[in-house]
Amino acid sequence: MSLRLIALCLLLSGLFSAPTLALNSKEIYQLNEQRVFQVRVLNRETGKKSSIGSGFIVGDGSQLATNYHVISQVVLEPELFYISFTGKDGQEGELKLLGLDVAHDLALLGADEPIGEAIEMSPLPPRGAPIFAMGNPLDLGLTIAVGTNGGILNQTDDSRILFSGNLNPGMSGGPTFNERGEAIGINVATARNAISFIVPSRFLNDLIEQSMAAAINDETDLKAEVARQVLAYESNYIEQLLEGDWPSLDLRQVKLPGIISPTVRCWDNSAKLSAIARYKRYQIRCANKNHVYLDGDNKFVGNLIYEYFWLESEDLNALQFYNLYENLNKDQIESKLDRDVVSNFNCQNWFIEVSSQELKSNLCRREYVEYEGMSDVLFTAALTGHSNQGFFITLIMTGVDFKATLPLIQRFLEQVEWKP
Amino acid sequence: MEALMLEISTRGLHRYQQIDGEVTTIGRALDNDIILSDPTVAPHHLKIIRHSDASIELVNLAEVNPTRVNNQRLQSMLAEKLPLTLEMGRVQAQLIPRDHAVANTRPIAGNGHGKHLFGNSYWTVFLVLACLFFGGMEFFLNSYNTVKWSDLFKYVLRETVLTIGVFVLALSILERLLVNRWEIRQLITAVCLVYLLFDFISMSGHGLNYLFSASWPTTWLHFGWYLTFIPCAIALYLIHISHLKHSRAILLAILIASPIAVPSILQSQQLRTLLDDFSPAARYQNSLSAFNWHLKDSVTIESFVEQAQELAPGEFAD
Repeated sequence: MSLRLIALCLLLSGLFSAPTLALNSKEIYQLNEQRVFQVRVLNRETGKKSSIGSGFIVGDGSQLATNYHVISQVVLEPELFYISFTGKDGQEGELKLLGLDVAHDLALLGADEPIGEAIEMSPLPPRGAPIFAMGNPLDLGLTIAVGTNGGILNQTDDSRILFSGNLNPGMSGGPTFNERGEAIGINVATARNAISFIVPSRFLNDLIEQSMAAAINDETDLKAEVARQVLAYESNYIEQLLEGDWPSLDLRQVKLPGIISPTVRCWDNSAKLSAIARYKRYQIRCANKNHVYLDGDNKFVGNLIYEYFWLESEDLNALQFYNLYENLNKDQIESKLDRDVVSNFNCQNWFIEVSSQELKSNLCRREYVEYEGMSDVLFTAALTGHSNQGFFITLIMTGVDFKATLPLIQRFLEQVEWKP
Repeated sequence: MEALMLEISTRGLHRYQQIDGEVTTIGRALDNDIILSDPTVAPHHLKIIRHSDASIELVNLAEVNPTRVNNQRLQSMLAEKLPLTLEMGRVQAQLIPRDHAVANTRPIAGNGHGKHLFGNSYWTVFLVLACLFFGGMEFFLNSYNTVKWSDLFKYVLRETVLTIGVFVLALSILERLLVNRWEIRQLITAVCLVYLLFDFISMSGHGLNYLFSASWPTTWLHFGWYLTFIPCAIALYLIHISHLKHSRAILLAILIASPIAVPSILQSQQLRTLLDDFSPAARYQNSLSAFNWHLKDSVTIESFVEQAQELAPGEFAD
């Protein structure tokens, strides 16, 4: 009898302690449909949409959060474009820019008067928990996508949450909710089906706080502000890289820096050779994932790419070998930007002594037209003095302060070790 | 009476007619003393009368395309001084005294000298074989896979034999038109020499780029080759082998070199580099050399970083 009583008590206590606040997608949609808007960038001359995204009410009720990439056109051409919002019930109005966090792709916008009740923000739920992304995909109307939390990605410098739902163009800037209808992040990007990314809400809280202290106003030079933020983020990123321990990797007779940061992934990139090739080549390509969206012309900066290339042959004579070696030694930065966006490269070469070997090295830099102080850097170093062994390093960084990259190049070279 | 000669200009070698009668008629009709078969010449175009007092009288007989003497239209005149330049229709001629001095004899290049490149056929054969060898070497040095003999043969046939053949054919036709002669052997020798020199220049350009750690050696060699060497080589050939006058040879050399030089320069990377004020690619010094001869000293990593601080920003294009 007592056992039955205990079992009944346990059952009842279990029923009453269940999470009564868990909402389903329909309830979350209904709770927030008046608080999520379409954010539009409009041409002042034509009055038509140039780009669209989503946004949601935060802060004091007159503020809207969205992605920086949704409204970046206004930064480039503020005299030609302006930002507006439109709600499900036809509510609409113009918005001004209050704050930017370019590194995390966030923007804070402000209306002239309160437009609704702000959405509460919350930290990330446990990995695997259901989360719900709201937004206006492809200008088709407000919708909600259901998925689960895949956790914070360290390869993106902790700035992205993996979301197993489908985000589509137009949903960028919309909120991602937990089961209680609180915003845990902001929709930002998609890679492919059911692999999407969310910006954690803590970065938005920081942006709201910063904007309260010093909001952007009409006097602010927006391009200078964007450049300042990107350079600060990248310089801080390089400092973090320099502070960390760099594990080594071996490529034939050279010991080299390996995965120097959790943000970096390395892949074997060796080309498949034909059976009659009289040489061997091995290639490793490492690249980071924490890119920063700059604007529609430049797309992304913040690339860190380093490639190692080893070439050897027992069959080719020295002249043949060096013909091949020289032909392969022509790595470039892949993005083909126009003269309106970047300057020409300025390059200089050196013969550098590295681990008792001599490397023929080139250092090139180019500058961004619109963003003062921002450069792309290309460094190459090719082994010389061996008749049938060749090796070169290529190191690429985009959207950085040129001088901040030199300590990184120095450490790279210092960690190269030749194994006789 | 002074003996006279009429020098009739023709393509290649001139034609000479002796004027020894009292009256000499020139024209297209068959009853003339000197017959010019050009359709622009009148049946009876010019009469030359040698008087007993040694004076020479010229009388125009043509109504269409009348005779011009020293570029003046002629009715009749007494020649005071020889030589006289005559134009009868399209035919150009000179009336000259028989004892008129002729230019010095021009020696045939290498004639009778076995050691002279243009002197005998052995050199020609040797140079052709050298071209085939270096054509094959070029293929071999740029082959990084196992070499097939058939590929080597095809490459040499396509790149070496065809290149030399096309140039020899075109230039020999040109030479035939210019001086009315075929000089195939000399042309093969000259074209092979230029081919070999081009190979040498290309190879040394790469070496010089590495030596100076710069791109200007190949740029200068490229422009120097097409704008200076090729016209000079053609002019020298026309002067010494074809025996043209200097001024004519230089003019022709420029005309012949232009279709070779202009497309090569227009399509060249070097010209694009000079003209383009913007390139999205980094133009860095990527040359590498098996010999590893370079004038730049090696630096330590610290020195490199110190010097790199001074690397100037890239220049913005207009």
